[in-house]
Amino acid sequence: MLSKVHHVGVVVKSADEAMKFYRDALGLTVTADRVIEDQGVRGVLLAIGNSEIELLEPTRADTGVARFLETRGEGMHHICFESDDVDRELEAARAKGIELIDQKPREGLAGMICFLHPKSNHGVLIEFATPIAGGH
Amino acid sequence: MGAGAKYIDHIVIASNDSAATAKLFAEHFDIEIKRTMSRPGTRAHLEFAKLQEIVLEFAGPGEVQPYDEVKARLGGFVVAVDDIEQAVATVRAAGFPVGDAHPAVQPGAKIASVKAGTGGVPFAFIQYNAIPAEEQKA
Repeated sequence: MLSKVHHVGVVVKSADEAMKFYRDALGLTVTADRVIEDQGVRGVLLAIGNSEIELLEPTRADTGVARFLETRGEGMHHICFESDDVDRELEAARAKGIELIDQKPREGLAGMICFLHPKSNHGVLIEFATPIAGGH
Repeated sequence: MGAGAKYIDHIVIASNDSAATAKLFAEHFDIEIKRTMSRPGTRAHLEFAKLQEIVLEFAGPGEVQPYDEVKARLGGFVVAVDDIEQAVATVRAAGFPVGDAHPAVQPGAKIASVKAGTGGVPFAFIQYNAIPAEEQKA
């Protein structure tokens, strides 16, 4: 089952610039900072309570995150719910008729992840994640 | 040390039909809608679910128009702090514009919004138990 909000995703022009607020002013700790080449994004996770804030900076122009930034500007991009079994959540979503972006889980910054299509959720992009032990 | 951000208190999901969006999330994600309310002094209709410490706040108009399509978006988040005056002072000192802390809708709580520098996220601090009970009654 979905146990908590793993993170909220925020698309930004510059993760370094955004970290001046989230890391430096708020005092949050960076738990991961890496470029995911196949997704064309730099992802930065900052811990806050039992959740995280994920800053997403596009590194290429031909990605969904880059298109989001171009059309909508900076802002909240998605909510990620944590589960102990992302495969099971994906199958449950499929069984409910929810349109999927990822047909099977893949590795992401938060662990094994998958995205559901916003069309099925009134326009809100949803991610499921199962952290990998010792991940980030 | 920073502003003393403890946890994300709530995430706002703004919808043109908050009841419909809350119902959809409940069905899709097996989350329980714990509470519904109309915001005092406004015509907003709010529904709430909670996953551990984080409240999902579905916010929309009190009177739903016959829209062709229900549309929702992520409308920002609010971070809990122990000392909102210290949080405001710290973030201001770092060069970010922040409104003054003022009474929130939640009884006894104060809230202050950060106006820029958040990566486009409507963002606020909240401190619970910020207003003594005797002041709340006044």
